[in-house]
Amino acid sequence: MAETLLEMKNIEKIFAHVHALDHVNFEICKGEVVSLLGENGAGKSTLIKILTGVYPKDGGEIFFEGKQVEIDNKHDAEKLGIAVIFQELSLIPTLSVTQNIMLGKEMSTLGMIHYSAEKKKIAELIQRYDFPLEADAIVETLSVAQRQMVEILKALSADAKLIIMDEPTASLSRKESEVLYKIINQLRDQGVSIIYISHRLEEVFNLADRIAILRDGKNVGLVDREEIVPGDVVKMMIGKRLSEATASRNLTLSDKEVVLEVKNLTHLGYYENVSFQVHAGEVLVLTGLVGSGRTEVLRSIFGADPYDSGQVIYRGEVLKKNRIKHTVSKGFGLIPEDRRTQGFAPLLSVTRNVAVTNYDALAHMGFVNRAKEDELGEAVVGMVDLRPANPNVAVGNLSGGNQQKVVLGKWLTRDLNVILIDEPTVGIDIGAKDEIYDFIEKMTMQGIAVLMVSSDIAEVLRVAHRIIVMKEGRVIREFHDGAVTQEQILLAQSGLKEQAKEEAQYE
Amino acid sequence: MNNQKTKKLYEFRKVAILIAICLVFTILLPGVFLTWSNIRSILYSVSLTGIMICGATFAVLIGGIDRTVSGNAAVAGACCCSLLLSGDGSMGSTVLAILAGLGCGILSGLFHGLVLSRFDIPAFLMTLATNQVLYGIVQYITQNKLINVMNAKAFNTIGSARILGIPVPVYILLICFLVSYVVLNHTVYGRNLYSVGGNREASKLSGINCRKVICIAYMISGFMGALSGLILSSMNQQASATQATGYENDVLAAIVVGGISLRGGSGTLQGAMFGAFLIGIISNGLRLLGIDAIYHDLVKGVIIIAAIAFDMYSSYSMSGMKKRGPFRRKASSAE
Repeated sequence: MAETLLEMKNIEKIFAHVHALDHVNFEICKGEVVSLLGENGAGKSTLIKILTGVYPKDGGEIFFEGKQVEIDNKHDAEKLGIAVIFQELSLIPTLSVTQNIMLGKEMSTLGMIHYSAEKKKIAELIQRYDFPLEADAIVETLSVAQRQMVEILKALSADAKLIIMDEPTASLSRKESEVLYKIINQLRDQGVSIIYISHRLEEVFNLADRIAILRDGKNVGLVDREEIVPGDVVKMMIGKRLSEATASRNLTLSDKEVVLEVKNLTHLGYYENVSFQVHAGEVLVLTGLVGSGRTEVLRSIFGADPYDSGQVIYRGEVLKKNRIKHTVSKGFGLIPEDRRTQGFAPLLSVTRNVAVTNYDALAHMGFVNRAKEDELGEAVVGMVDLRPANPNVAVGNLSGGNQQKVVLGKWLTRDLNVILIDEPTVGIDIGAKDEIYDFIEKMTMQGIAVLMVSSDIAEVLRVAHRIIVMKEGRVIREFHDGAVTQEQILLAQSGLKEQAKEEAQYE
Repeated sequence: MNNQKTKKLYEFRKVAILIAICLVFTILLPGVFLTWSNIRSILYSVSLTGIMICGATFAVLIGGIDRTVSGNAAVAGACCCSLLLSGDGSMGSTVLAILAGLGCGILSGLFHGLVLSRFDIPAFLMTLATNQVLYGIVQYITQNKLINVMNAKAFNTIGSARILGIPVPVYILLICFLVSYVVLNHTVYGRNLYSVGGNREASKLSGINCRKVICIAYMISGFMGALSGLILSSMNQQASATQATGYENDVLAAIVVGGISLRGGSGTLQGAMFGAFLIGIISNGLRLLGIDAIYHDLVKGVIIIAAIAFDMYSSYSMSGMKKRGPFRRKASSAE
C-alpha cells in the first residue's frame, strides 16, 4: 500500500454565512491520481485554493507527508512541492521554454545568466519525460497542449510532489489529450501525485485511481475507480435534491411545420455532419461539453462563421453562407454566447443598442427618425421590464441580467421567425433567469422556432422540447420522446453512450 | 438619467473652459486678443485643422486612428498644384485639378479602410508608416521643390477671399462640420459607426457590415484631409514637400482633448471641435503674449496629457468599471 502524501481533515470554509466547505476530507497517496468531481459550485475550486494558500481555511487540518502543515500563501505551497496547472496558463508568451521554466530561479553569477547551462538542464528534463518540445522554442509559437507541458515541466523542475490539474483537456484536441494522458501516467509511475479536476467522466474513468466527489460543499464519497460505475458517480454529483424536483422532463416531437433545417453541416476542425430540424414554436436545445462544437454550429447557421459543406434551409430555401444580413432579413436573430464581448456596446445607451437591428424600420433614405428611435427604446424598456426603466442609460452600467434583456430586446422588436440563443443565463441571477425563460416560452407561443445552446442541465430540462447532445463536433444523441432525466443527459454528454442507452431502456 | 446629466455637465464644462481661457487672455492682452482681426486669425488657423478633425473623428470613432491626414493633405496639395501648373488656367482645368487632389485623399482612405478593416493591424502603426509613404510620394511629385501656383488666380481665391469679412476656409469648415454632424447624429451610417466603434463583434452579429462602415470612415477622413491640404496650398499659393507636416499631432490631440475615446464608440464632433479651438486659442494667445515659440509645444503637450488623463478617467467611470480607475492599482490584492 502506497504511503499517504496529503491528507486534509475536516476542512471548513465559510463565505459570508455560506458554508462553501463543510467538514471536507480529502487524501491522496504518493504516485496516485485522484479525480475531484462535482458540479459548478460544489466546492472543488475552494478546496484547491485552500490547498494552494489562496484562501485561508476556517477550520480543519492539513497533513503533508505525515506532518501537520499550515499553508498560508502560495509560497508555502510551493515549498511543500504543491503545484497547480491553471486553466488560464501563466506563461510569458514572448520568452523561451527555458526562460519560462527558470523564471525567478535563474542560474547566474553577478547577475549574468548562464543561458546555455539552463538550456542544457531543461533539455535534459524534456528528454527524461520525452515531451515533444524544444528547450529554446518561444512559448507563443507553441500549441496549447505544449504550453501545458511547459507548465508541467515548470512544476517538475521545482520538485513538485503534487500537481493539481484544473480541467487540463478543456481546450485540447483529442490527440493532444491523449498525449497528456500518457504524461499523467508517466508522472504517476515516477511517484508524482496528481489531483485531476475534470467534467469529462470518460477520461476520469480512464485516468483516476480514486474519485473524490463533492456536492454542496460536502464530501459524498472517495471511492476506488473499480468499485463504481459512471451512473453512480453522476447520481452522487447531483444528489437527491435535483433528481426529485426538475430532474426529468417530458419531451414531445412537434408536428408543426419545419422552419429551420440543417443538413450535414460540416466545418472541419469544429463540427462534422450536423443535421437536425427545428419546428415552429419549438425549443430545440443543443447541449454538450464546452468545445463540443455547439456554439460554432449556431454561429454558422446565423452566418457569422463559414462552413465547408452542408446546407442551412429556412422554409425550403437554402440560405447563403456567411451572410448575417441575409439571415437577419429572413427573420433570424442571435443572442450570442458572451454578451459582454458580443452582445452590446457598453458605452452606448439602451436605445442605441436595441435600435441597431431595427434601422430598416426606423430610417428613411439613410436618415434616422429619432422620434421613432426613442419610441422603440421606451417600448423595449417596457417589453423586457428593464431596471432601471431608463432607455438612456449606458448598457455597460446595467446588471448582467438587464444587459441580457437588452440583447434580447434587440431582436424582440423585429418580426422573428427563428431565434438562436447561446447560453443565455450564464452569470445571471435567478430572478432574471426566470424572466428570460418566460421570454423563450412567449416566443414559442408566437410560433418562433428556438434553437438554444446550453450546458446548464436544469435549464435544458426546463425549456427544451427536444434535446440534441453533441460531443467533439458530432451529434451523438437525440432525446425527442418521453421522459428524460438529468443523469441521462450528463452521461450522454460525457460520451458514455452505451450506459446512457441502457438507462434509457431501463426507464 | 444620472448618466445623461453628467454627460451634459461634461459638455458644458468644455464651453466653460474655453470662455475661461479667452477671459484670461483678454485680461492679459487688453485690446489685442479680443479684436475682430485676431478672432479672424484664430478662425483662419483653426479652419485647416478643423476640417481634418471632422474627417479624423470618423476614424477614431470606429475604434481606429488616422495619422495620414497630413500626408493626404500634402499629396492632395502637390497633385493639385502640379496639375494646375500643367493646365491651361481655365476654370475647367482648375476644377479638374481640385477634383484630382480630392480623389487622392479618397483613394488613400479607401486603401487604409480596405486594409484596416480586413487585417488585424494596429491602425496607429499602419497609418504612422503610410503617412511616411505619402510624404515620400509628395517628394517624388514635387522633386523636393516648391510648386508655385501664384498665377492660378481662381484656385488662390479659395484661401484668400472673404465673404462678409470672414475667410472662405471658415465657411468650408462650417459646411464640413454641419455635414459631418448630420451624418454622425442623424443617419443610419452614423449610428452604425458608433456601434462598430463601441463593439465590433456585437455590431457584426446585429447584421452590420462592419468592413464597409470602417472603409467609409477612412474614406471620409482621407477626403477631409485632402480638402484641408488644398485650402492650405491655396492660402500659401504653393505646394511643398513638407506641407502640413505635424498637423496629424494637432488633429489627434484636439480629438482626444475633445473627449473622443481612443477606444472608439464614444465622443462627439462638437467635443473634437472644442479641442481644435482650445489648441488654436492657446497657440494664438501664447504667440500674442510674446512667449517664445520654443515653449508652445511644451505647453500644448502638457494640456494634451491633462486632457487624456481626464478622458480616460471619465470614460472608465462611465463604462461601469467604477472601482478600479486606470491610475489606481487594486486597493487590496487579497480579497
